[in-house]
Amino acid sequence: MMGVVKRFGDFQAVDDVTLEIKQNEFFTLLGPSGCGKTTLLRMIAGFEMPSEGRILLDGKDISGLLPNQRPVNTVFQNYALFPHMSVADNIGFGLKMLGRPKTEIEATVGEMLKLVRLESRGNNPVTQLSGGQQQRVALARALAPRPKVLLLDEPLSALDLKLRKSMQIELKRLQAETGITFVFVTHDQEEALTMSDRIAVMSEGKVRQVGSPWDIYDRPAERFVADFIGETNFVPGDVVSIDGGLARVKLGSGAEISATFPADLTPAGRITVVIRPEHAQVVPATGDAILKGSIDDIVYLGTDTHFHVRLDDGSLFIVRQQNARSGPCGFGEGESVGIAISDDVAQIVRD
Amino acid sequence: MATSAAEADGTRERKDVRDRWLLSAPALVLIAAASVGPLLIVLLYSFLAPGNYGDVKWEFSTEAWFNVLFSRDIFDDTVSLADAHFSIFWRSIKLAAATTALCLILGFPTAYFIASRPPHNRSIWLFLITIPFWTNMLIRTFAIQEVIRSEGLANTLLIWLGIIDAPVQMMFTDFAILLGMTYVHLPLMVLPLYASIEKLDFRLVEAAYDLYATRFKVLMRVIVPLVKPGIIAGSILVFIPALSSYVIPRVLGGGRNLMIGNLIELQFGQGRNWPLGASLSVTLVFIVMIALLFYVRNAGRPGGNAHG
Repeated sequence: MMGVVKRFGDFQAVDDVTLEIKQNEFFTLLGPSGCGKTTLLRMIAGFEMPSEGRILLDGKDISGLLPNQRPVNTVFQNYALFPHMSVADNIGFGLKMLGRPKTEIEATVGEMLKLVRLESRGNNPVTQLSGGQQQRVALARALAPRPKVLLLDEPLSALDLKLRKSMQIELKRLQAETGITFVFVTHDQEEALTMSDRIAVMSEGKVRQVGSPWDIYDRPAERFVADFIGETNFVPGDVVSIDGGLARVKLGSGAEISATFPADLTPAGRITVVIRPEHAQVVPATGDAILKGSIDDIVYLGTDTHFHVRLDDGSLFIVRQQNARSGPCGFGEGESVGIAISDDVAQIVRD
Repeated sequence: MATSAAEADGTRERKDVRDRWLLSAPALVLIAAASVGPLLIVLLYSFLAPGNYGDVKWEFSTEAWFNVLFSRDIFDDTVSLADAHFSIFWRSIKLAAATTALCLILGFPTAYFIASRPPHNRSIWLFLITIPFWTNMLIRTFAIQEVIRSEGLANTLLIWLGIIDAPVQMMFTDFAILLGMTYVHLPLMVLPLYASIEKLDFRLVEAAYDLYATRFKVLMRVIVPLVKPGIIAGSILVFIPALSSYVIPRVLGGGRNLMIGNLIELQFGQGRNWPLGASLSVTLVFIVMIALLFYVRNAGRPGGNAHG
């Protein structure tokens, strides 16, 4: 995708997006609602035409093609199954429209039913299926014509949590088995981290960062990305020196830490450092603490304990500690403590 | 004990049933008085003998029913099939079917257009559709006459444009009747169609389009099956009044192009044969019932109106 822009009147839904999605990749467009991810998906499908820019598939410009001319199929958010057809007719619809011979359609439909584990349901009306089964029919229907790219528009959002978890695994399996490129749209960051090979984080029509789940989570390039994905502590500091890929940052407490930074940024002066709650530890107020404060709140969650530490400058810092041992954590509310981090967990982000 | 409990249950159930009947009694009385009653009178008249100056003689006769199908020569009493009646019935059915088809062809795009407008604009379009209802049908029929008569708007315009040299005879033809009936009945097709299309999930259209269906196939394989209830309702609403049209064939068809309605009127009026008029009316009701049964059976097919 090159320099794609979509405007609705004055509103710029997608703003100069350039993305490269690789073959056989599970690629996720992640962002809050209204960030333009669905519009982008609809442009790949052909339901919307880009106002500017081109969309290439295998090097060929498909931006001008109609949806029925693109080797791209969509799994819709609410499945959009044809209610007047059986499960098998739904799955075979695409092939039928392509004018494939009947025997081939039957064979493929059988194969697809097996792939989504609905072998016995072929002749049922789709209206008799449960939500999860309808979801699988929608998948099979979109996969049956063997598209080059499968688009999935928040397909799991209508399912309950347990079903969603098992469908996540199912989707990964289907993607691996079919070798088709999946472009997945979601606002659920956990879903994106779990399933994707690469993620593009979007907001306000722009792509903020593209990278592997690890990149996105541990090396966010922007404040928005860090904030949107997972819980984060933002700590202000001043850059003291840069040595290769590491910067020395002096925090408000006077302590110096090293921090990584995005490749396209040369940090200088006042910057913001991101430290994930699970990368920090609560330690006694002395010693190698980088920040000092007092404990506002201790939240015990079974597997983890969350410490809400009020720093000396008045801001809140959250630490998530795994409960490696049983018994009390050894700290009390109101107690003065320090916060320690291991090396290379701090990341400088653009504001 | 168990028996008396069951008995008590039975009594309560009977009371429930009785209450239900009592509650619906006013509606039932109204239906009986306004709908079934007159029909029964018509049915009764069809088995009586005609009076000399209209009205009926109170004696049982099947002559009227005989005359629906056969005609007796007034001179030698030879019996032959009533060709005139058959051709009028057949003409009426053809014209009503053609009207229904035309209304569907014109009404479907109209209804689709309205249903695909933004919601706040739809009421304006629907309002426009209902405007013809404000005027009496007779007046609207005369208005059509004004358009298509030999010195009317259409001919004048065509001559002025040089497309034709002499006026085309449009009045008093089947074309005139068809035009008039289509014009008058079109809203009856558009409204139920709109109600159906409005409920259509347009994502299904996108899904079909995404799955390589051409526009025509999207229409035939997804839209039409899903809005079938509206198509059936609209067709019934158009076909039935079109079949029994009276004013339009009278005004636009002249005296020569009769439809069933005119034939029946003739028997009650100039013909002074009320029993024949009554038996023709019952025949019309019968044809409508057959048409309805045909539609209903169609609608009942799997996937027919499951999503109405």
